[in-house]
Amino acid sequence: MLEIADIKTSYGKIAALKGVSLDIHDGGLTCLLGPNGAGKTTLIWTIAGILKAQAGSMKIDSEEILGLKPHQIVSKGIVTVPENRLVFPDMSVRDNLIAGAFSRRKEKGGIEGDLEDVLTRFPRLRERSEQMAGTLSGGEQQMLAVGRALMARPKILLMDEPSTGLAPIIVEEIFEIIGGLRDEGRTIFLVEQNAHMALKYADRFYLLEQGRVTFSGEPGAVDHDEVIQRAYLGARKAS
Amino acid sequence: MLDLAQNTMDGIAAGSAYALLAIGFTLIFGVMRRLNIAFGPSIMVGVFLGAWVNAQWSAGLIGATIATFAGALVASIYVERLSFAAIRGDAALASMASSFALWMQLEQGVALAFPGRTTAFPTLPPLLDVQFVGLILHGDDILVLTVAGIALFLLHRLIYRSHFGLEMRALADSAEAAAVSRVNTKRVAFLTFCLAALIGAVAGLLIAATDGQVSPKFGLWATIKGLVAMMIGGLGSLRGALLGGLALGIVEAQAQWYLGAAAREIVVFGLLFLCLIALPGGLAGMRETGAERKL
Repeated sequence: MLEIADIKTSYGKIAALKGVSLDIHDGGLTCLLGPNGAGKTTLIWTIAGILKAQAGSMKIDSEEILGLKPHQIVSKGIVTVPENRLVFPDMSVRDNLIAGAFSRRKEKGGIEGDLEDVLTRFPRLRERSEQMAGTLSGGEQQMLAVGRALMARPKILLMDEPSTGLAPIIVEEIFEIIGGLRDEGRTIFLVEQNAHMALKYADRFYLLEQGRVTFSGEPGAVDHDEVIQRAYLGARKAS
Repeated sequence: MLDLAQNTMDGIAAGSAYALLAIGFTLIFGVMRRLNIAFGPSIMVGVFLGAWVNAQWSAGLIGATIATFAGALVASIYVERLSFAAIRGDAALASMASSFALWMQLEQGVALAFPGRTTAFPTLPPLLDVQFVGLILHGDDILVLTVAGIALFLLHRLIYRSHFGLEMRALADSAEAAAVSRVNTKRVAFLTFCLAALIGAVAGLLIAATDGQVSPKFGLWATIKGLVAMMIGGLGSLRGALLGGLALGIVEAQAQWYLGAAAREIVVFGLLFLCLIALPGGLAGMRETGAERKL
């Protein structure tokens, strides 16, 4: 379990996260919703160790890991699928996937096996394994980004807005992939603007507004419309 | 016609050293997105150390070679720590300005330590010139081409066949994606800097040994040659750096033969402007493959 407590991150004087606390439970899909500018991506980059938090704590299985460098965070099993499908555009699909296993270069055999698993999971990637990643379509790049993350054998998969900029039919395909990963018992933390789709798959959700968690719960127990409205538009002014 | 061919051959030998300098710049630029203009002066420090070791203990070419590699490496690490590791990644201009300051420091330091300025460097072992169909391939040039060729081959293996090479290409391709893929970006950047220093030292060594001497102005000279070759070839492309270096060598040799030494630099910089305007992607940009654009 990843326990995040009172994380504060700012860009210069502008506080983006004003004390965020949330738990990511093992085996399940935890979803973070929120409008633009709420700090969702900031939280992902902070967990990944790329942005530095000013305060707070982050524990995986009770071990404090806040302040570790990005590659050390990956070694702890926390692997990010970044927003906008940051693949290596000028490297082949195969090299992109092997790059995902940087953390495990000692075990050669395991890497080959995992590469085979990922290519079986995403047959489109197998077809294009020698192609440059930059020439793939948006949906294929997203698959590649997920595949690359799986190559690291993650304990927790952080996914930042996988649906951004994809056609609705591709979004459904991506969510089916995410749902499949969840059904395998993987731990996923999904940051998503598409609240409608996310609530369909989430086991638990948090709502982030203006750098604070303002609402949390299980999708079955709340009014979806209310959450969706707040996730898109932010909190309504007190009336 | 024979002159043209002879000049081209001479130019290729000189150009192979330029290509190594350009590749050193390109490695650093590709991985860090920052220009290290103290690259030439760092190599100059190494070459001077080689000359000094040779003068002190008559170490010969072997001893001078080892000292040159060591000196260039230490000077480059000094530059990396102060101008790159200590300065935030997105402050490219600060790094460049700071590397300029270190350039002056290195150049003045060497000028103080060697008041005679120009210092002798052990020459290459004499090799017989080879003649065929009226052309002369100089013994020195054969040696230079062989050494440069071996260095390029090893570098190619390292970049495209090794794990470290994959990490380097990943970092050059996308720093963020590399960081989330567990590339230790700082370590890879540091090692790339060291690699560039070694490649540059090979170039410095070949040039100093061919000339049999070195002066503190070698730093300026190496930076300019390397930068011009890199720009002609296409910024950030390894293949471009190789092509740019060879093109620079050939054009220099032709210009010197037909127009004289004074006109040589004018022609070279004219070519640079022509390239920047007509071929903004450089020679490598003409055939855009995508695969090696950044590294």
